[in-house]
Amino acid sequence: MDIDNDVPMKDAMEDHLDQAIDEDSGGGSVTYFNNVSWRSVSGIADSKSSKPLELTASNINQLDQWIEHLSKCQVLSEEDVGKLCRMAVDVLQFEGNVQPVSVPVTICGDVHGQFHDLIELFKIGGPCPDTNYLFMGDYVDRGYYSVETVSYLVAMKVRYPNRITILRGNHESRQITQVYGFYDECLRKYGSANVWKMFTDLFDYFPITALVDNKIFCLHGGLSPMIETIDQVRELNRVQEVPHEGPMCDLLWSDPDDRGGWGISPRGAGFTFGQDISEQFNHTNDLSLIARAHQLVMDGYAWSHQQSVVTIFSAPNYCYRCGNQAAIMEVDENHNRQFLQYDPSVRPGEPTVSRKTPDYFL
Amino acid sequence: MTERSEDLYPLALLMDELKHDDVANRVEAMKKLDTIALALGPQRTRDELVPFLTEVAQDDEDEVFAFLAEQLGKFVPYVGGNKYATLLLPALEILASTEETLVRDKAVNSLNNIAQELSQEQLFHDFIPLIENLATNEWFSSKVSACGLFKAVLVRVQDDKFRKELLALFLQLTQDDTPMVRRAAGRNLPTLIDLLTQNIHLSTNEDWDYISNMFQRLVGDSQDSVKFLAVEVLISILKFFNKKEDSTHTKGLLHSAVQLIGDEAWRVRYMAADCFEDLASQFTADPAYIEELVQPFLALCEDNESDVRKAIAKQIPGFAKLLPNSQIVLNKILPVVQTLCTDESETVRASLASEVTSLAPLLSKQEAIDNLIPILLNMLKDEFPDVRLNIITKLKVVNEATGIDFLTENLLPAITELAKDDNWRVRMAIIEYIPLLAEQLGVEFFDQQLADLCLSWLWDTVYSIRYAAVINLKKLTEVFGSDWSRERIISCLLKSDTQVLENFVYRITLLSALTELIPVVSAEVITDKILPFINHLSTDSVPNIRFNAAKSYAVMVETLGKEYNDLIKESVIIALEKLCQDSDVDVRYFAGQSLEKCKSLLS
Repeated sequence: MDIDNDVPMKDAMEDHLDQAIDEDSGGGSVTYFNNVSWRSVSGIADSKSSKPLELTASNINQLDQWIEHLSKCQVLSEEDVGKLCRMAVDVLQFEGNVQPVSVPVTICGDVHGQFHDLIELFKIGGPCPDTNYLFMGDYVDRGYYSVETVSYLVAMKVRYPNRITILRGNHESRQITQVYGFYDECLRKYGSANVWKMFTDLFDYFPITALVDNKIFCLHGGLSPMIETIDQVRELNRVQEVPHEGPMCDLLWSDPDDRGGWGISPRGAGFTFGQDISEQFNHTNDLSLIARAHQLVMDGYAWSHQQSVVTIFSAPNYCYRCGNQAAIMEVDENHNRQFLQYDPSVRPGEPTVSRKTPDYFL
Repeated sequence: MTERSEDLYPLALLMDELKHDDVANRVEAMKKLDTIALALGPQRTRDELVPFLTEVAQDDEDEVFAFLAEQLGKFVPYVGGNKYATLLLPALEILASTEETLVRDKAVNSLNNIAQELSQEQLFHDFIPLIENLATNEWFSSKVSACGLFKAVLVRVQDDKFRKELLALFLQLTQDDTPMVRRAAGRNLPTLIDLLTQNIHLSTNEDWDYISNMFQRLVGDSQDSVKFLAVEVLISILKFFNKKEDSTHTKGLLHSAVQLIGDEAWRVRYMAADCFEDLASQFTADPAYIEELVQPFLALCEDNESDVRKAIAKQIPGFAKLLPNSQIVLNKILPVVQTLCTDESETVRASLASEVTSLAPLLSKQEAIDNLIPILLNMLKDEFPDVRLNIITKLKVVNEATGIDFLTENLLPAITELAKDDNWRVRMAIIEYIPLLAEQLGVEFFDQQLADLCLSWLWDTVYSIRYAAVINLKKLTEVFGSDWSRERIISCLLKSDTQVLENFVYRITLLSALTELIPVVSAEVITDKILPFINHLSTDSVPNIRFNAAKSYAVMVETLGKEYNDLIKESVIIALEKLCQDSDVDVRYFAGQSLEKCKSLLS
């Protein structure tokens, strides 16, 4: 049926695999291939609407059924994923690069395909839509249920666009997902890469940052030397594969560091930034806090730069072996913050040790 | 009938798909086999499709085989009914000989399904030769599959001579060179014996000589992973003789049991420990036999391997129940429980905790209070949360045995302590236990000791605890009544600290609590107390509160019913209509839903 689409995709894939991306290996350099313009091969964005999606009664009915189905950790059919992604494009394309979010909201970090722990997160923080959520990216890869996790969050996003915000993480990318599990999982669960193509095409539309009540700047990675004001983020063209350098890349890849100023990131993409940078950025933009995810922290959250930056990580016992707690941050309507920590969900029969080697946590 | 050329099309298409380069396509084609067979009709399915599939079964990938093996099990109707069912056997025989376990298992499953539909004659003529082929094949994989097929025919063969031959063949498998085959035989043997138990008059003494021989082989096997299967075989054998009320072998079998329980291989001891209650309950005919098992039982409780202790810890009350008098429980069993409750392994303690409370009904009230309760109180203080959790969730039996007075004096302090436990699942278990406790304590005592605690859970940081607290209040209202709820709960909730209510989380919890209480309180409480508060929240600044208020209105109207038509019209409907004009889409949606529901209830 879609043989036409298959051919160019395959070539492109082989390109990547030749140049394996060694994401978190300290010191190793990242080799990206030159900017390839990514054609929307799945067709989910072929008939974009000119105005935001308005849900009809039958849409709502269908979404509620999907959500019910997904909440039991069962995947949708390929056809339904297609429908969902088409609807999601018409929601996400109208969100800003800096998506405004109001309080109260519960801010969450990496999930990484740990579906049961995502359900645990909702048990701790309260169900959506009763509680508003802001997720800061990295829904896929590493865990065993990337498909279920990202399908569930996207379905919730389409059903309740005002109640949940989903940002893009560095793993919401065609290149990274081919190395860290999402691509293989799609292949295993659907027998073809179609679902992977649809989701990775959709990822291009995810907003890259959010601004909570004009006070908390939320994003996956961190700051960029090319961005001084939030308005500059608004001017980026975000609808593309995560580039290997430049401001959009930095926002999804950078990390705060104890050393001042800008530094070269050991990840090979993005930068490290010091307290001086964070404080200047918060001052310039009249912010109280930068909230970000991207790094494993043993308590689930960690302050840096004298409380101008917070890291939130929401995958407990990361990769089923790190032994870390997870956390989420509740911000109430008076900007009081409360961190809630939690442990892995209890589920007998699940593997507790991954077969992968642990070197990439170091 | 369609035209001939079109007729050929499905098969040609399938064959094309089955030759596709991509395994996924071939798998997809396999999944559609039934449709193809239906399109072809029985005659051509027999003449063309089945021979073709038999070829496929010899040359493809395991994924394709797995689906083929599964599909063939459902194929009898497509080949024209059981008359032709044997045509499917050759392909399945090949699949049952493959190396991949998944494929073999599916093929064996399908063969067993098909065997159900075969006549006696087909069984003798086709199916039993198939078993014989597999069982005498050179490769272990075929023999392993053969082990799983005997159950399809054993009791359908009425002829004593044939059954004897089958058992002789099975005996061969139990002494095969490869442990994989012996293991498969050992695993299938209990099923075969159970079938003979169900058809109690079928088997002859000669059959039982074979079975006894197989059992001895298993017991004497050099591999632990084969030997431990003897435990389940023993249980099945005992069940047979118990059903037959034949006690001539009991003493000998008891001896075997004791030997297996004390085996030097820990996996065998583990298996014996894991099935201990089941095993011991086969010897209840004579109390003396049970007493002979006490010593081996105690030895398992003190086993060096923590896995063995973990398994036996769960069996303690089950075995204790079989003992002829409570003195043995008191003097022999409780001392080992005492030791196990301080076991170095937390999983052993958790396992003990999951069942140990069931010892209470086996003791007199005083014995329980003096000897068991101290152990339980100790375990409630265990540093491992699962131990505490397991005890709490099973406390009910202790209540029943010792009476509530004792419980309030001794366990209440432990419960209030655990109500503040760091682990939210422990707090959860306590909350779920509260309604039960309330019923037994009575309202006066409850108000003094627990009412404030119940309210305090509403302000927990974990959502699931807050929600459990809400449901708890509903259950308590069902126990103590609407008036109590108004005085003791609702008025407290409505008086909540305004500072607390500045936080959205607490407002939404309060709203959820009042909404849950609506169906269980009187109409007067709803109209006087709850309605004004929900009206107030329907104009809250946070949309999540507004749409939950909208949902509450529907619950309220459902409960009040038409009698309150006027009130509903002038208050609820107006508020909902206003919410239908809200600036937030979710508020408009849920208000619309509620409004529709209200209107249909009132019309």
